[in-house]
Amino acid sequence: MASLPKRIIKETEKLVSDPVPGITAEPHDDNLRYFQVTIEGPEQSPYEDGVFKLELFLPDDYPMEAPKVRFLTKIYHPNIDRLGRICLDVLKTNWSPALQIRTVLLSIQALLASPNPNDPLANDVAEDWIKNEEGAKAKAREWTKLYAKKKPE
Amino acid sequence: MSKVPRNFRLLEELEKGEKGFGPESCSYGLADSDDITMTKWNGTILGPPHSNHENRIYSLSIECGPNYPDSPPKVTFISKINLPCVNQTTGEVQTDFHTLRDWKRAYTMETLLLDLRKEMATPANKKLRQPKEGETF
Repeated sequence: MASLPKRIIKETEKLVSDPVPGITAEPHDDNLRYFQVTIEGPEQSPYEDGVFKLELFLPDDYPMEAPKVRFLTKIYHPNIDRLGRICLDVLKTNWSPALQIRTVLLSIQALLASPNPNDPLANDVAEDWIKNEEGAKAKAREWTKLYAKKKPE
Repeated sequence: MSKVPRNFRLLEELEKGEKGFGPESCSYGLADSDDITMTKWNGTILGPPHSNHENRIYSLSIECGPNYPDSPPKVTFISKINLPCVNQTTGEVQTDFHTLRDWKRAYTMETLLLDLRKEMATPANKKLRQPKEGETF
């Protein structure tokens, strides 16, 4: 396997030694560019008490190109589609090599805290969110209970 | 080159299929747009010209297992077709079909569909008698 760039090694070490509260990210043994991620739903959001699994991959051109990230846990959110794909500016047009895995995961956590139905990826969910915010949030809470339940310690 | 994991590879293929960046002679997409594992896919092949397949559209199902793309997908014709590499009872493309047998990680569902289309057009296969259009396995 091609050797791993120093930058990726450093980022990985820091994610393990100094983790972000509520977020874990661990590389797979057989592919050090491929991470298994969990993000806890932010407090006061419909995702509170949920733990969401994601996967993250650093393409060959990282950090010139943004990491690729996807939810593996089903989630009811206007900016996340049914396949777990995420609509987030820092993953697309606003990516900068100065950002890191850590900042991307924090941005995703922030997206859970403040959904943006005016820039939707999942159109049906966004419509629901705009027309009936309380109902949509209730459904998001229900899905969190159904699919993102915390494992008992 | 680093190894693109299965799911991100399938997302790339999905995007290419959805946006229609691929060739016009075949298409593919997720069978169930809710399936987070992205296992089951539908494919179509437009029969090659100057053959008994001309103007026919063949439907296929493609199953990308957990080891895709290290292992090839399982491909089955839904539309009835008479081809030596296709099991005439189940419609399944036999695993000794060269693209499946000599599968490489760089191959995609598109590679497979295009190779099957080429197979339909080989001198030995293009004049094979075909079942009535619209029949399924």
